[in-house]
Amino acid sequence: MNLYLKLLSGSLRSRMQYKMNFLVSSLSYGLIMAVDFVLLAAILQRFNDVKGWNLYEVGLLYGISSVAITLYRVFGVEIHNFERYMVEGEFDSLLIRPVSPLSLLLTKNLDLSRIGGTAQGVIILVISIIGLSLDSFDMFLLLLYLPISIASGVVICFSLGLLTATFAFWTQRIKDFQTFTLYAPFNAANYPMNIYPGWLKIIFFTVIPVGFMNYTPILFLLDKGGSIWNLAWPPAVALGFLFLSLRFWHFGIRHYHSTGS
Amino acid sequence: MVYWILIQKSFMTNLQYKVAHLINNAASAIFGFVFIAIWAGVLQGKEQSSPYDVMDMTYYIAASQCILWLSGFLTAGLNIQNGVRNGAISFELARPSNFFLYVTSQEAGRLVYNFFFRSVPIGLVFALTVGFYVPQHFSSYLFICISVLLAIIISINLHYLVGISACWTTEVAWAHFVNFTLLAGLGGQMVPIDFLPAPLSTLTQYLPFAGAIYYPVMVFLEKASNDVIWIQLFWALVLTLLNLWITERARQKLEIQGG
Repeated sequence: MNLYLKLLSGSLRSRMQYKMNFLVSSLSYGLIMAVDFVLLAAILQRFNDVKGWNLYEVGLLYGISSVAITLYRVFGVEIHNFERYMVEGEFDSLLIRPVSPLSLLLTKNLDLSRIGGTAQGVIILVISIIGLSLDSFDMFLLLLYLPISIASGVVICFSLGLLTATFAFWTQRIKDFQTFTLYAPFNAANYPMNIYPGWLKIIFFTVIPVGFMNYTPILFLLDKGGSIWNLAWPPAVALGFLFLSLRFWHFGIRHYHSTGS
Repeated sequence: MVYWILIQKSFMTNLQYKVAHLINNAASAIFGFVFIAIWAGVLQGKEQSSPYDVMDMTYYIAASQCILWLSGFLTAGLNIQNGVRNGAISFELARPSNFFLYVTSQEAGRLVYNFFFRSVPIGLVFALTVGFYVPQHFSSYLFICISVLLAIIISINLHYLVGISACWTTEVAWAHFVNFTLLAGLGGQMVPIDFLPAPLSTLTQYLPFAGAIYYPVMVFLEKASNDVIWIQLFWALVLTLLNLWITERARQKLEIQGG
């Protein structure tokens, strides 16, 4: 842990050498995500709700999902760009270090420009929570649970990212898979799952379990259905999925063959 | 003709990655399904208060997901910024060929590829699942071709503008982000621009972004008057002339370090 903090602070300092670039890129990344939400707000202002979910309720789902994926993009940047290690043959250099390759990858770099996206997600969450005007007990429960929901989302996202990265051991390039395993599902998780056709719902609650991170608990927290068990699902699924992805990662490493060049 | 050869070569280069692209198409279709589901959920029971019904929006999203590959997802800065970084730009600008055409024809080759290996397969997926609009009037096909061509010219120019700005800023990542956001947001990728709140819905009709996505989609769906092509033509001309002028400025700014 000590080592982790040391490595992180090193990466942070190197990034801060280019302050202006950092500011502009975080701002523009936050702006992109904000425009998306403003468009949604424009639609919902005109039509009130999407299958029984009003703007603030969708905002909760949206905020959790965007905070989760952007935090992964901040901390998991080397996992996300893992194909570089395969294509350029740099993975060998990670294997010969005394620390596990995964911890090396996690500490090597931070993509702070994505923090803008996280901030924007938090702002949407704050606006939504205020707009919902819940009674004090429901509000207390929601605020208490929000960090768990976000943490589960980050873990699910990280696990999906790691699973996708592991594919690189066989396929080398993974950029095109990521649209399929990360971008499209997290975009879908911005909105309530009940709007999707059955086959998409099945995908989002099984192989790519993004539905659990926000939809399942929020359903219960906003009195839209489900039971208290809905609150247990997100961390349980996240941990289970993390376990599976770590197993797959180690399986991938065992089958790794260096290019030898 | 050297530019024609560049278009062909760029097409061939992209062919190398067609398997990965086909996987990516599945994801692109899923994005489309998500947008269609949102619209179906929003419009459910409220169709009388909307100018478009669920089927209209399904066709709209399906068509815009296809056109995005022709006028939305272009190479960031058309890679001009790489030449600025490594200095190759000095040779490229000094060549006897036209730099603007040299860069844009490579991108055009990629877009021709995108049409066959992105737009058409994605359109087929929609046709087989949720439905894909087929223009009814024979004359529409001519206007669709013109409108899509102008959309491509507008978008290539917007991306070129981002790329050539590297001659002054060296870093174009953020400019590309902003450009793409405006293109998708104000261009009507997910929300037809007439749905936007009041001042914006009028303003966006006259911006180049609508010419890149919204107008070609509406012409394709036979929902827009063919006069919108004049707005597209205006922006295609203005942006092309602007870029030619800026390219000239960049050439003057260039210092070739003798060795």
